[in-house]
Amino acid sequence: MRRQHHDPFWLVPVALGAFLALWQGVVSIGGYPPFILPSPATVVHRLIDLLVDGSLWHHTATTLQEVVGGLALGTTTAVLLGYVLAHFPLAERLLAPYLVASQAVPVVAIAPLLVIWFGTGLLSKVLVCALIVFFPILVNTIVGVRSVGQDLRDLMRMLEATRWQTIRLLEIPAALPVLLGGLKVGATLSVIGAVVGEFVASDRGLGYLLKQGQQLYDTALVFVGIGALVVMAQMLYGGVALVEKMVVRRATCDVRRAT
Amino acid sequence: MAYPQSDGRLEVLAGLTFEVADGEFVCVVGPSGCGKTTLLRLLAGLERPTAGRVLLDGAEVDRPRRTVGFVFQEPTLMGWRTVEENVSLPLEVARVPKGEARRRSRELLDLVGLSGFETAYPAELSGGMAQRVALARALVHDPRLLLLDEPFGALDALTRERMAQELLRIWRARRKTVVMVTHSVSEAVFLADRVLVLSPRPASIAAEVRVDLPRPRTPAFFDDPAFGALARAVRAAIG
Ligand SMILES: Nc1ncnc2c1ncn2[C@@H]1O[C@H](COP(=O)(O)OP(=O)(O)OP(=O)(O)O)[C@@H](O)[C@H]1O
Ligand SMILES: [Mg+2]
Repeated sequence: MRRQHHDPFWLVPVALGAFLALWQGVVSIGGYPPFILPSPATVVHRLIDLLVDGSLWHHTATTLQEVVGGLALGTTTAVLLGYVLAHFPLAERLLAPYLVASQAVPVVAIAPLLVIWFGTGLLSKVLVCALIVFFPILVNTIVGVRSVGQDLRDLMRMLEATRWQTIRLLEIPAALPVLLGGLKVGATLSVIGAVVGEFVASDRGLGYLLKQGQQLYDTALVFVGIGALVVMAQMLYGGVALVEKMVVRRATCDVRRAT
Repeated sequence: MAYPQSDGRLEVLAGLTFEVADGEFVCVVGPSGCGKTTLLRLLAGLERPTAGRVLLDGAEVDRPRRTVGFVFQEPTLMGWRTVEENVSLPLEVARVPKGEARRRSRELLDLVGLSGFETAYPAELSGGMAQRVALARALVHDPRLLLLDEPFGALDALTRERMAQELLRIWRARRKTVVMVTHSVSEAVFLADRVLVLSPRPASIAAEVRVDLPRPRTPAFFDDPAFGALARAVRAAIG
């Protein structure tokens, strides 16, 4: 069982303040030009500009759409395939070499292909995200479904449970802790997928913003873009963690925690 | 009954025949690994015999049925369900209305002496309590036949004796037909109308000891000379 830590409330703001002070110090003492290292104030100004003209929200919304769409697509297909593979070891043995091989190819290398096939719009980015999310969720689904004990399966058989009852009453709740662990990893990976997709070809999104900042030597813009990505990943991760807390009750202390 | 194994077949049960009467309490004892669990799984329909047949009320047992309650060697509870939700699982699967399921689960929890633990989770229970939850779950849908696989195997001697008495009390209250595997000879004689002794693998029935002793039986029964004689007879048959 985990112990709950309550950090003092001032810790986070103080750490943030110290970080900003250090940053400002480096800029002032080093005398770097803003296109090498902008000061915190410059970045905040840039942030306010982008907020006021609505472009930050516009780009963030685009990336968020890709991330969530890819997460949904990748998770759905991975869970369905994982469920089948967990129940048919032969299918797993046949498919495993291809699945593992596919992981050896970096997504960065596949992204241009997807853009050629599916255009420079939303779809190709959603597919990049789905691809990157797919494998960890697949593995976690298989592990989760396989973790269901034979005795509990026999129990459901004794009760003449239907296939759907076995899934709903036994397999889903038993696999959920492991699956949600995979989803947390997947959520952050999906953000990476979207940026990779946008780097290859795009006219909006946070990845596009980063590329623009780089080309224009608008380093403050790059900083704002990175910050937005961090916040997005944090919120997605926190969202899944929240769902985990609500769904997976304290019960999990005796179900294996495989993450 | 034979299991396929990497180096051929493992003959587990062979030439084994017996009948159990309605309402009878039968205990099965035998050396470890002789096939006691396999026997119960056959009776439950969880395993199909490679030869021979299992009949329940004259009909062949060709698949698991709800009319049979099973308590596994390990307490097999769902960690994400409360005690009451675990007990009502069979009713939920059988689509019994919620209110009715609740009433029956509480009744059973009362019978096994776990009132007040309805909302506890399995991780918070002792081994004995967990097995009692499993017993309540096996009884809640009112099966005809109750199969128990060393239900008290993991418990200490003291808890075990208390559980045996409670089991007798429940059996009297519910009038089930019971087939129970145990490795304790005295437990078998204490509980059963009849003790079946299995031979080593491939197992058949090495001996059948009838326990024609009065009920209700109390712990004083352990000191009865007739009890001692029967226990010795069973031990001799195990060899
Ligand atoms: N699913 C299976 N596949 C192959 N062999 C099995 C299987 N289940 C059991 N066996 C073998 O059958 C034999 C009997 O097993 P079983 O579990 O019925 O014994 P048991 O009498 O219940 O033992 P114990 O007293 O230790 O519980 C053992 O040798 C075991 O290895
Ligand atoms: Mg056994």
